[in-house]
Amino acid sequence: MAPYFFYFLAFLAIFSALMVVFSKNPVYSVLFLVMTFFAIAGQYILLNAQFLAVVHIIVYAGAIMVLFLFVVMLLNLNKELEPHKSSLLKLAGVIASGILMLTLIGTFRGATEQVVGAGLSDGLTYNNQVGLVKNLGKVLFSDFLLPFELSSILFLSAMVGAVMLGKRDKEPIEL
Amino acid sequence: MKAIIILSALGLATMFVGVYNFKKALLPMILLGLLAVIGINTMEWNTNIHYYNDMLYFDNWAVSFTNLILAVSILVFLLSGQYFKKNTDHLEDNYSIIIFTIIGAILMVSYSNLAMLFIGIETLSISLYILAGSKKTSLASNEASLKYFLMGSFATGFLLFGIVLLYGASGTFHLHGIKDYVIENHASLPTIFYVGILLMMVGLAFKISIVPFHFWTADVYEGSPTLITAFMATVVKIAGFAAFLRLFFTCFSSITEHFVPILCILAVLTMFLGNITAVYQNNFKRMLAFSSISHAGYMLLAIIALKESSFIAILLYTAAYSVATITAFAVLLMIKAAHQENDSIDTFNGLAKRSPFMAFTLTIAMLSLAGIPITGGFFAKYYLFANTISAGYTWLVVLAVFNSAIGVYYYFKVIIAAYFKEGSEEKLSIFPAYQLVLIITAIATLLLGILPGLITEMM
Repeated sequence: MAPYFFYFLAFLAIFSALMVVFSKNPVYSVLFLVMTFFAIAGQYILLNAQFLAVVHIIVYAGAIMVLFLFVVMLLNLNKELEPHKSSLLKLAGVIASGILMLTLIGTFRGATEQVVGAGLSDGLTYNNQVGLVKNLGKVLFSDFLLPFELSSILFLSAMVGAVMLGKRDKEPIEL
Repeated sequence: MKAIIILSALGLATMFVGVYNFKKALLPMILLGLLAVIGINTMEWNTNIHYYNDMLYFDNWAVSFTNLILAVSILVFLLSGQYFKKNTDHLEDNYSIIIFTIIGAILMVSYSNLAMLFIGIETLSISLYILAGSKKTSLASNEASLKYFLMGSFATGFLLFGIVLLYGASGTFHLHGIKDYVIENHASLPTIFYVGILLMMVGLAFKISIVPFHFWTADVYEGSPTLITAFMATVVKIAGFAAFLRLFFTCFSSITEHFVPILCILAVLTMFLGNITAVYQNNFKRMLAFSSISHAGYMLLAIIALKESSFIAILLYTAAYSVATITAFAVLLMIKAAHQENDSIDTFNGLAKRSPFMAFTLTIAMLSLAGIPITGGFFAKYYLFANTISAGYTWLVVLAVFNSAIGVYYYFKVIIAAYFKEGSEEKLSIFPAYQLVLIITAIATLLLGILPGLITEMM
């Protein structure tokens, strides 16, 4: 049963990701992006990584997408305001990302056999309980304690910055 | 590690001092704090401790790069007193974010786990995105911040994808684990491992502005507040190159044949594009941006050589480059403080008559950047090139020397403007802090050139 779910979710993710790019209306784009996130969260559940799936939905589909929607609606984007990109630039983009796509497709074809062939199969076996909250928490608060704590500095500096950029200056500074 | 803890406390203390309005005490406190951190950090010399499950590894390289970052930051802070006095209302916020940036940079030079590398790069970058936009009413500053942010997060995506692929192949985030994996499976490394290396290279090359990932550099350097540009041009380069070298030297030094050809192409492109574009710049900040790109190209040679001595080469080169760059920005700031002029090279016209001292220090800095003997820049370049030749890349060094010759042209343009062109006759006064910085940097530049043994013997 699982393979069918996988293919369905993968199709859904790719289809809605393409629709994000091709929709004319930015609000539709954002809604399709929400769909992409849900499809990917579904993939996480298939991998038994429930915590990741829930966090993914809460953070991305919940918080960030709502922010996106608000910004898109407030900016009132429409087609007339959209700057025209030269076709040369588009061509360059297509070539560059096409090459990257080819590289990645080439990479992942047969990646499983290669990785197993390179000696991972004997030492490590995949533990399907690894994505559960309990196991994740244990790893996060033992092996990865230092990065976990130091990320607080990252958030603190982002927060201080947000406040600083948002605060009103006492007197306007000359340009 | 102790440096990181103390700096975090210092950053918090800075914010609290700001809350209680002791703004006069802020700068002395930070300077004393940074000096103390240098002292405490130096005590970790030769201890080689692995911290917290091998997340950070403070070997001598990490200690010396950390000290270099702290020393450069002290110079920037010395300049900041006068600069922020008229440029911002949010003194404590700016200061604390700069301190957090330094923590990110220290993580980048001492990591022993890819998770730490990521946290370090993000702490550094996110703080810098904010600092780049800290001149809120300036359109150029806003543009710089947004551009840096968008491109930077895109590059971080590449870096993360690279980390994921390396993990997928090797099953570990630890540098030494990856190294063991590479040695064990030398013959049959999976394709995803190579692509992982490639993507990490893209992510890191963005941070140190290697062509073709350099497009943000000129606009961001030009638009950011000048003091922040000085900080960005020095600290980020030091941390970025140390991180790049640490990763590639530790993990991939046994499979150089797979990525060195790419690095060679990038180095040649970076040197030529950086130098040739710099020749055509009239804006001093833009010129320094392109000169920083070209210096990144030279420093890439050390990573191509990929030997133990590459660390010395990078340390010397970043030290000489940072000191000279700080001098250049200090002089620019001083001239701009006197009367609001633009950033064009013409601002230096007649500087020798207006302030002989500043013209002299600026000349030393430019000679050092150009790589003229008895300055630090010359010896650093010499060491770097000798190191590359002994690794067998003579053709690259020939191209690099040719590029240095192009570099001489645009660095001398500044010296000629200062000494031989007519400008305003009005005398320039100089703030004591700036004078101190200029004296320190001039002495450091000459010392690095005359007695480089101080650093090379120590290692």
